[in-house]
Amino acid sequence: MRTFRGGLTIGLAVAALVAAAAITYERYDTRTLKRTVRRGDVLCGVNKGLPGFSIPDDKGNWTGFDVDFCRAVASAIFDDPSKAKFVPLDASERFKELQNRKVDILSRNSTWSMSRETNYDLYFPAVAYYDGQGFMIPRSRNIDSALDLNGSKVCVQANTTTQLNLADYFRANNMKYTEMKFDKLDDVVKAYDSGQCDTLTSDASQLYALRLNLSKPGDHLILADIISKEPLAPVVRLRDDDWMMIVKWTLYAMINAEELGITSKNIDEALKSKKPEVMRLVGTEGSYGEDLGLTKDWAVRIIKHVGNYGEVYDRNVGADSKLKIPRGMNQLWNAGGVQYAPPIR
Amino acid sequence: MTKLRHLVWMLIATGALVLSTSQGFAQSRPDADEPGLVADDSYELDPEWQKQVVYYRTNEAPGTIIVSTAERHLYLVQGNGRALRYGIGVGRDGFQWQGLVTITRKAEWPDWTPPPEMIARQPYLPRFMAGGPGNPLGARAMYLGTTVYRIHGTNRPDTIGTAISSGCFRLVNNDVADLYSRVPVGTKVIIRQKPEL
Repeated sequence: MRTFRGGLTIGLAVAALVAAAAITYERYDTRTLKRTVRRGDVLCGVNKGLPGFSIPDDKGNWTGFDVDFCRAVASAIFDDPSKAKFVPLDASERFKELQNRKVDILSRNSTWSMSRETNYDLYFPAVAYYDGQGFMIPRSRNIDSALDLNGSKVCVQANTTTQLNLADYFRANNMKYTEMKFDKLDDVVKAYDSGQCDTLTSDASQLYALRLNLSKPGDHLILADIISKEPLAPVVRLRDDDWMMIVKWTLYAMINAEELGITSKNIDEALKSKKPEVMRLVGTEGSYGEDLGLTKDWAVRIIKHVGNYGEVYDRNVGADSKLKIPRGMNQLWNAGGVQYAPPIR
Repeated sequence: MTKLRHLVWMLIATGALVLSTSQGFAQSRPDADEPGLVADDSYELDPEWQKQVVYYRTNEAPGTIIVSTAERHLYLVQGNGRALRYGIGVGRDGFQWQGLVTITRKAEWPDWTPPPEMIARQPYLPRFMAGGPGNPLGARAMYLGTTVYRIHGTNRPDTIGTAISSGCFRLVNNDVADLYSRVPVGTKVIIRQKPEL
């Protein structure tokens, strides 16, 4: 009798454990890296068309900052940037699609916020691009601070966080303004371009893109002030640590490469370097790549195929692009910005 | 027919060769110093090199100058997370240096006496040239510590954004005049280089 009861208890306990494990397995995906390697490509959720960040040309070739980040991940794993495959996703469906395992990674100008991690069981490994709300003004106004905007007529898109941030900023600084709000962004831009407002407010990266379409882009400038936090980051599923580590350290390898002066052009020279920090990054010392589940030369692959952080920035959104967004906060921490990668050691 | 095709290709190849060598020559000129050339003040700089206020986080006090040679930018720290940024031309390979110096002297339309080392390298340079619009030092000069280096103007606005000088930092004349009016003798100047591999 006792043994029967004991056996029953053990049996029930085992059944409960199996059920719990099954539920956990269902809820959290922990096999992205294995699936990616077996499939032979990285499925990357991107914006359908955002100049500088991700946009296809008429032949279907994608370019952009977010696109290049996926190519960097593919390079680290496969030594081949063309193994990144792009899946355009709408803003409304993007987090669901990632959760449903339609893509391996989301690299789609997505702002990292707490609720996006907790509500969708997602994880934002590191900030790729510090964006935030700014102001565009006609150059002729001759001011260089947002604190000089008191009494302005401000063009803004209605029912957005942009509108709320605007109100907060002016109230906090005891400034008055007249709101000129429009439902569509196109109308916001038209109103500003026709001189109906003294300034236009939106996310800084967007202001540079919008400026290109004004009748006289050179007559307008974007103030250096940033009044809100929009940290754009890649996104992966929660509790898929092997995969999350690869995504995170891909970005950090690119930032560290820039800090150490390693570029796609001098990478061969870097492989001969005797400087310990350089040697650890390029894999001539230590086993950092293997410890990540990759090869010794993982970072070399990234830098060779895609470039360091600064190269990717300049090419897509910075000085060598149409947008020409100054590095600003995205400059390295020791050169005036806040981009900071933990060391490889 | 085949002969004619050969001839055409040879002509194209010769043309390409002439073009590439002349370009190569222009690029390998030891310096962009063209004494006597009068600066074109209407020259429009690429937006990257235009004077502008930018976000800039630093512990250095407002009024400090920070030169980032790798970026080809000179920052005048304004405090409150911002700086006034100017586009500059910097020293070519082998003529790059870094450290902390101060502005020890300021001069308007400075005379130019190329140092002996420079004459040795570029014997075609004049031994002395009076200040003026054709002077490679341009409209203003700020002398850095006890070095032979300066922050100065230029008669070659097209060299902003390049690494071509003998170690000086050049700005277009309007910008150097603007900077000159904002900084006194004694200003701290920090020179930063790209890291070595």
